[in-house]
Amino acid sequence: MSTNSAAMTPAYDRNNIFAKILRGEAPCAKVYEDEYALAFKDIYPKAKVHVLAIPKGEYVSLTDFSQSAPPDMISGFWRAVTRVAEQLGVAGGYRIGSNVGPGGGQVVFHFHVHILSGPRQ
Amino acid sequence: MPSQPPPHLAPYDRNNVFARILRGEAPCTKVYEDEFALAFDNIHPAAPVHVLVVPKGEYVSNADFSASAPDALIAGFWRAVARTATVLGLNESGYRLIANHGPDATQVVFHFHVHIMGGRQLRGVSSQAPVPGDGT
Repeated sequence: MSTNSAAMTPAYDRNNIFAKILRGEAPCAKVYEDEYALAFKDIYPKAKVHVLAIPKGEYVSLTDFSQSAPPDMISGFWRAVTRVAEQLGVAGGYRIGSNVGPGGGQVVFHFHVHILSGPRQ
Repeated sequence: MPSQPPPHLAPYDRNNVFARILRGEAPCTKVYEDEFALAFDNIHPAAPVHVLVVPKGEYVSNADFSASAPDALIAGFWRAVARTATVLGLNESGYRLIANHGPDATQVVFHFHVHIMGGRQLRGVSSQAPVPGDGT
């Protein structure tokens, strides 16, 4: 759960869209899944390859996740991100991005990273 | 601890500028440091606040780091990223984290690093216009 002091970041909402996807209550185009993470296609792709990876836990942001998740969850999540890139065939070049807080452009308050590669769309 | 980079990336070069910064052989404006990571100002800022965070270990990229580093270093590095954001006061105003992997994604320095950018209203990472350059 969120424990950070971010003034503008809301508390974790168990009904956010990514929580629903994790519970199977909302659909997604799954790319990868393991015990730590789920990766699926962004429904509004901004590049030829645009996938989101989310941890299987209730963390609102990168800061919250990095502060609060246990070490094996942190390493498991980031290892999963690398596996996603390999599986997508973009290991030669990709960008990882994460927006933190409303001022950082974050819209869904379940921590997620964007994996982007290829021409912008 | 030299690690095996992915085959498409050059092996770790111990004379890259971030390695020299870590050894104290090149200057930096330090923002945060602990046993796992060092954070310093990007000398070519693309935002009012633009800091780079590097792990204390020889890893060419995020993929190399995530595949090869021990759990304690991976967790320690990401906790350091969060502490850096806290030191910078960015948890309230928001920030963007970027890591470019590989020459195709404009990675320039082949010591794994993440960009922390803030200090103004940022659009989502996926709608950002130009690709931010690396620090050197």
